[in-house]
Amino acid sequence: MIAAVHAEWTKLRTVSSSAWLLLTLLALTVGFAVIATDVVKCPASCSIDTTKISLTGILLSQAAAAGLAVIFVTGEYSSGMMRTTLTAVPRRIVVLAAKAIVLSAVIAAAGVVSVLGSVLAGRIFLPGNGYTSAHGFASLSLLHGPTLRAAGGSVLYLVLIGLIALGAGLALRSAAASTCVVLALLYAVTYLGDLSLSPVWQHRIERWTPMDAGLAVQNTTAMAKQVIQPWPGLGVCAAWAAAALAIGWLMLRLRDA
Amino acid sequence: MTMTRASYQSAQQAGRDGFWQLLRSEWTKFRTVRGWTIALLAVAALTALAPIWLAGTASSNDPVTCVRGICQAEGSTIATGPAGTAVIDSFYFVHQPVASTSSITVAVSALRGNGNASQVQGFGPGRHPQLPATEPWAKAGIMIKASTRPGSAYAAVMVTGSHGVRMQYDYSHDLAGPATPAAAQWLRLTRSGDTITGQESADGSHWTTIGTAHLAGLPASAQAGMFVASPVYVQTFGDGDNSSQITTRATAAFRHLSLHGGSAGQTWTGSVIGPQAPPAGNPPPGQQIGPKTAQLQPHQGFTSRAGSYQLNGSGDIAPFVPIVDPMHVVFMATLFGLIAVIGLGTVFVTAEYRRSLIRTTLTASPRRGRILAAKSIVVGSVTFIAALAGAAIAFPIVVTKLVSSGWKPPVWPELSITSSTGLQIVLGIAATAAAAAILGLAAGTIFRRSSAAIMAVLGVLVVPLILAIVMPLSVGTWLLRLTPAAAFSLEASVPHYSQVSYACAPYHACFPLDPWPGYAVMAAWTVAALAGAIYLLRRRDA
Repeated sequence: MIAAVHAEWTKLRTVSSSAWLLLTLLALTVGFAVIATDVVKCPASCSIDTTKISLTGILLSQAAAAGLAVIFVTGEYSSGMMRTTLTAVPRRIVVLAAKAIVLSAVIAAAGVVSVLGSVLAGRIFLPGNGYTSAHGFASLSLLHGPTLRAAGGSVLYLVLIGLIALGAGLALRSAAASTCVVLALLYAVTYLGDLSLSPVWQHRIERWTPMDAGLAVQNTTAMAKQVIQPWPGLGVCAAWAAAALAIGWLMLRLRDA
Repeated sequence: MTMTRASYQSAQQAGRDGFWQLLRSEWTKFRTVRGWTIALLAVAALTALAPIWLAGTASSNDPVTCVRGICQAEGSTIATGPAGTAVIDSFYFVHQPVASTSSITVAVSALRGNGNASQVQGFGPGRHPQLPATEPWAKAGIMIKASTRPGSAYAAVMVTGSHGVRMQYDYSHDLAGPATPAAAQWLRLTRSGDTITGQESADGSHWTTIGTAHLAGLPASAQAGMFVASPVYVQTFGDGDNSSQITTRATAAFRHLSLHGGSAGQTWTGSVIGPQAPPAGNPPPGQQIGPKTAQLQPHQGFTSRAGSYQLNGSGDIAPFVPIVDPMHVVFMATLFGLIAVIGLGTVFVTAEYRRSLIRTTLTASPRRGRILAAKSIVVGSVTFIAALAGAAIAFPIVVTKLVSSGWKPPVWPELSITSSTGLQIVLGIAATAAAAAILGLAAGTIFRRSSAAIMAVLGVLVVPLILAIVMPLSVGTWLLRLTPAAAFSLEASVPHYSQVSYACAPYHACFPLDPWPGYAVMAAWTVAALAGAIYLLRRRDA
């Protein structure tokens, strides 16, 4: 198992796109945190959740996490590397587990750095825009329980999105198809849920889709009004990841490489 | 003896290097990959089925209660206008009957806001936005109207809060006069049968015609008189769905009133036009009167002293613009087909890089710009046709489903696919698909990796839709102006009018640009991306 993990780590490390995507993940999260915390102004919108707005960048950088996972597995199929991998480690579950472990560790590491950067951006920019103690806002701090939960939860969320994309990549094998499916699931479904003409479907989408439910972990205010609470929300997202990995494993087992 | 050897020449005839050949070879590449044909069918199916599904989930909508032509929807009180569409027709009217040849003249001064009456609808942190002293579309002037029934035909000339002198008739027509009204602005309406001419003058002796209205079927005895209205002030602010609607009032002074063609013995009667004053007879049971609008009644009225009049009024005379556009929301579900289109456009070129077919392609046709042009035409055309087929199938089914769940006239149009708005939606979906495919193709050429290219295109086309909802309204509006997402304004079905202010919230699939200008933004992005792709294709080795 350790050898398999080591092999996967070597494969991920030596592909130049991995480094680029991790840099993109970092740049999108922190860059967008800077923009978002810079444009919100308190006399106009004092009702916002300052923690959540600092972590808005996750909305964009999750695409990079998904892309990393998709390329990690579909790249092996397009180059034929998968056959070598499966010859060396014939047990499919070990291959899957090793890939999931390496991917999670890498995304988590990049996620921790970018979330720290985002919280720092909020800490620097928000007080200058009127989010001060005069308006009832404390400086953003990880010592504050809900903020710590939102920040840590965001890292876990990125990992789970990566695992969903890993499962999709194993099932579909095509980089284009799996990128389209994962991004449609994240962005298009969420957007239509926001617009929905039906309160029933709006509620269903907010409660049961990976992005809406998973990002509930970032909420720190107005908890009673939320459709789903932070940890149950992340749980829904984790269920999606588990289902995607199960399908990926099944496909890996049933089909020839 | 010298041996001369003829230089080698292939027995094969030299092929023509025409653009047509290039187009044919790209079409052959597209057609012979089975996965791409399946993807194209998936595009058509998704474009048809996703909107049909979303229309099916639309909850039964019954915000409109119509009794004797008076309806109420979404907090505003509406009537049915001469064209059969929903209008707002509530104001204060001081009137008397006039014959079919008549004229009315008056000098209006001092139109000013009279404070806000009540908040009709508000979201957000409970902050009241700053009201302007006078609502920009507050109106004071003279009117000839078929009857006092809300929704009846009319023509009017007026002074407005900040849009100068206007002539308006039958709700949707709006003609501009001088931008700045005189301190005592003279106004005149002349009726000759069905034709009403509106004039304005700064001094009461030199008159300028603003426009002429034909009100078909105007009864011989119509109502003429002075009116004041002041619409609901709409402001959106902050982020998400924060908007306030506040009813306003206005006051204006009228002097030098003269009427020709009135009947002897008639006097001026003041009426609150609108649902507060139902037509003669008992108000029918179950009639919906907005609780807030009912409160306004005591604030409307008129006083007269020595030939001059002062009117207090509230309300508006304008087309009713609903906040939610159900067709637009439903056809945003074509996003699923659009994402597949982007994938298809991308792999049309990245697959060549992966299989190194690109080297053969470039050897066969070394002029690289033309290859991308041929590829764009092929992938643009096939996705255009697939999306057009899907949208055309979905359209009538979506309309039927929406109408059956209550999203219907007079408030929402029941569109036919051959109407100009129907064509705009269906052709717009197809045109957006074609541009998205070419955007994907260009990104695929730039990145050479399908996943990176797809992420980049979705990043500029789809992600802004969500960011516009999450971010403060001002930022969201700019995102939807500057990114290719502006093209989604093509799916709008509810008309907007310059004389009606409305809350344009990204939350309700409202886009700041008009349909085709929005598409022009996407086209500009596509051309720029294609230019970048051609530049890189020329510069780099395959």
